Amino acid sequence: MLELARTRTDVVMCLAQAETLDALERPRGALPIRVAPDELLLLGHPGSARALERAAGAVCETDDDALVTDVSDGWAVWSIAGSGWRDAFARLSMLELPRAGVVQGDVARLPVKVVADGERLHLLLPSSWAEYLRERILALVPEVQENTEPHAWTAPRARHA
Amino acid sequence: MASLDLEGRRVPLENGDTVASALFRAGVRTFNRSLKHHRRRGLYCLTGDCPNCLCTVDGEPGTRACTTEARDGMRVRRETGRPSVEIDALSVTKLAGPLMPVGFYSKTFIRPRIAWETAEKVIRRATGVGTLPTDRGPRRVEVRNVHADVLVVGAGIAGLGAALEVAERGERVLVADEGRVGGLLAPGAARDRLATLAAAAREHDRITLLEGHVAVGIYEGPMVPLAGRDELLRVHPCRVVVATGAVETHGVFGGNDLPGVWLGRGAARMAGAHGVPPGERAVVVAQTDEAFEHVSTLRRSGVEIAAIVAPAALADRAPGGHRVLRDGRVVAAEGSKGVRAVVISAGGARERVECDTLVLSLGLTPRDALLRMAAEEPVVGAGEVVRPGCSPVEAEESGRAAGHGEPVERRPLGGVVVGGRGTVCLCEDVSIGDLRDAWAEGWRSSEILKRYTTATMGPCQGVMCGRLLASFAATEGAPRAGARTTARPPARAVPLEVLAAGVHETGTKRTSLHERHLEMGAHLDRSGSWIRPYRYGDRHEDYLAVRERVSIMDVGTLGKFLVAGRDARTLVDRVFPCDVEHLEPGRSRYLIVLDEAGYAMDDGLLCANPDGTYTITSTSGGSDRMEAGLREWIDRWGLHVHLLNQTAMLGAVNVAGPLARELLERLTDDSVDRDAIPYPGHGRITVAGVPCHAIRSGFVGELSFELHHARSRGVELWDALLAAGQDLGIRPHGLDALDVLRLEKGHPFLAQDTLPDDHPTKLGLDWAVDMTKPAFVGKVALERMAAFPLERKLVGFRFDDRPQRGAPVYASARVAGRVTSCAVSPALGFPIGLGWLRTVDGAFPERVQAGGVMATVVPRPFYDPEGARIRA
Repeated sequence: MLELARTRTDVVMCLAQAETLDALERPRGALPIRVAPDELLLLGHPGSARALERAAGAVCETDDDALVTDVSDGWAVWSIAGSGWRDAFARLSMLELPRAGVVQGDVARLPVKVVADGERLHLLLPSSWAEYLRERILALVPEVQENTEPHAWTAPRARHA
Repeated sequence: MASLDLEGRRVPLENGDTVASALFRAGVRTFNRSLKHHRRRGLYCLTGDCPNCLCTVDGEPGTRACTTEARDGMRVRRETGRPSVEIDALSVTKLAGPLMPVGFYSKTFIRPRIAWETAEKVIRRATGVGTLPTDRGPRRVEVRNVHADVLVVGAGIAGLGAALEVAERGERVLVADEGRVGGLLAPGAARDRLATLAAAAREHDRITLLEGHVAVGIYEGPMVPLAGRDELLRVHPCRVVVATGAVETHGVFGGNDLPGVWLGRGAARMAGAHGVPPGERAVVVAQTDEAFEHVSTLRRSGVEIAAIVAPAALADRAPGGHRVLRDGRVVAAEGSKGVRAVVISAGGARERVECDTLVLSLGLTPRDALLRMAAEEPVVGAGEVVRPGCSPVEAEESGRAAGHGEPVERRPLGGVVVGGRGTVCLCEDVSIGDLRDAWAEGWRSSEILKRYTTATMGPCQGVMCGRLLASFAATEGAPRAGARTTARPPARAVPLEVLAAGVHETGTKRTSLHERHLEMGAHLDRSGSWIRPYRYGDRHEDYLAVRERVSIMDVGTLGKFLVAGRDARTLVDRVFPCDVEHLEPGRSRYLIVLDEAGYAMDDGLLCANPDGTYTITSTSGGSDRMEAGLREWIDRWGLHVHLLNQTAMLGAVNVAGPLARELLERLTDDSVDRDAIPYPGHGRITVAGVPCHAIRSGFVGELSFELHHARSRGVELWDALLAAGQDLGIRPHGLDALDVLRLEKGHPFLAQDTLPDDHPTKLGLDWAVDMTKPAFVGKVALERMAAFPLERKLVGFRFDDRPQRGAPVYASARVAGRVTSCAVSPALGFPIGLGWLRTVDGAFPERVQAGGVMATVVPRPFYDPEGARIRA
């Protein structure tokens, strides 16, 4: 069965010089997504924002201009799991999914960061678009069953960033 | 026994039947009527190329009967002819040929103008093409994206050869064919080889074989849309192999479109694959060796071969036992309902051979539209599309070479003879005479002949006639005049509902308070990319709450940015035209955002934060542009600045009205008085337990606090404000009330009240620009423009009565502007508006007329011109 569910996650944004971000050690349990040379998103389980901010705060020691901030409210995550999730994604986007990893681009005409692992797909997008994406997924992938109970984020096993 | 229904008549089906073969077996010979002259048309190509068999099948018009598999219970209707295809009263138009010259549409029904509107309806009905079903909505068409290393279009011998080669190299390959694999081949060695290749392809795990999918075109990327019955696949391959084969060349002579005239492969397929002889007695025109295979196939099905017409070089290879007319040429096919005889010129004499079937094997024309539209994309051809008439072995070899990525050399095509009489374009009913007339009128290249005569513009998209048109132009004029016309998608006819699939998607954003607005009965609608509340019941009551008591509005749609980093101040100082140097922490400035040409792009507020960062707000529709613009300047100047777009993560509620401060004081322990948060200024406060960045604003003309807060706390804050303000008469307001409130203050809505080339002076916003600054984006342009007199500006109107928004403004009987906003001001009691005004005779008029209403040009703002209420 193909399932669509909201995933609760905390997101911390690190803005710093590229080399500073390169040197940042991946905080435990977090998924780093390098969206730009000077921009890193850290995804963690709900309630982990403080810990992630502390861990990522290391960038401020080497970069006076670095900015580390909790941006969890700005992001929403929809997850698609179950057999056929890759096919479902093909109806939403022209992006080519890696076996496991992160891509970003147009999904249902929205700016989305896509995290794929061997079992499911997480669609990370600005929270103001979240409801629209849900509607599009339900319209374009009619066989998907919506689980109204949100999941809590757990980092994929594979390394992504 | 399975059967289909043809216009109320039961037609039995046999295994492997297409709609066309079943009808033909049942004695149907006229399938269609030509577009203009209503000439009878019968089966011709049987490969889905020509328009002769277009029928309505199960309500779907324009279906090719020759490639549509017949199914039990199908309902088939022939589309043209009044009252029927067999007895068509409109066939008298054949006699009206002189009244319908080429370029008919460009020459007739020009005046009076209504003539064309009437004629168009009559002509459309008379052409008799299929009728779109109105008893159902569009089918659900699924759009999917597919990635492959290689896409092969065409699952013939060459295509499958290419696919196997690609797959054996370890790449993923998608093979698409518009029909069934092998469905068009008559029994023989080629079909056997194809079956072997198809079996191997089906078993290969790197090959995906898609039948019933038409390649619409090749787009940049490359991206190739494949249209199936209920789906549209957007294929994104690394490279493409086009193996779409070739169609036998259409011959031009008198009577060439009569039922009974067949292309060789079509006749052979009807006889060999469907077991139905295409006629009783046939003349075969053989200009290829393949024609002799057709002769054998026809004979086996019981067709008598009356004569073979062949050039001397081929004649000796003709099968024995038949009469061969060496170096013969078909002059005409005769008959009315179908072929009754063929007139052949050979050896200087003309001979009339009685027959009911004329089979043409005149050579091959590649189906190369995809190749021709590929331009710079990594696309190669294989098989007959590049080597027409190649053997099956050669086709497979070329496919394998293409699979390796090697371009297969195109075999040059000879010219085709286009002379005498007859129809060139079967779809659009364009004759050789029409082309001659057009040429004589001065339309002297294939491209403009196409536009004038509409030849090649029908359902076959020039597959049958494109080469003939080019040859005609090359023969009549210079070779350059005879270049093939430009190939464009769609290469094959595709239902509009398939082409339209997926294009309706337009995203809409929602604020965190969306559900609350619904619960409160707000009227919600689009505003730019957002869904926003326009009113909560009575819009006037919404308005009054702001002016007289206190009101709240969801302004979470505003763009919100944080600018941080050691060069943050440098950035905002260099980009924005306002005074940044004297902007102290806790204070804010109105921002007009200019581009390098000095034109206003957006507006908002700039807030200096105590930690050296800046908060910027922009209009709801301008946040993307603001972000892109700032990022560009950061990159261009190499500044150490981090820009954080907080639009999605922060909600915002504007608390406005004379009692706004009183309301907030009930919910916060922080000071919100004039000293703590002055106008224009901002501060951090906690409201009902929600940390907020409170920014004083003046857009609605009352004491206002924009409370920027974490999106997740929005509902909590909204509910607390409403609850605490009950006894103050609080109610929310939406965009309807805002439109009047800001108009009373004379504030323009960017885009609604502005034009793309507006600089601050035109908008009356000079006060927002500090020209004493050394530099800011747009300053040079503003200095240059300052030297020119102002000829147009945004002004305020006081109307004598209410005009229409958009109404032209007249002064001295000349159009001098346009009303961009207007409303009856509840506060003032008379209609006011904003609009454009030009100078008339060197001065701006003071009294104008707009939409029949007189108006006086008055200074802005209309309401509280001293600004005492917003500074309260």
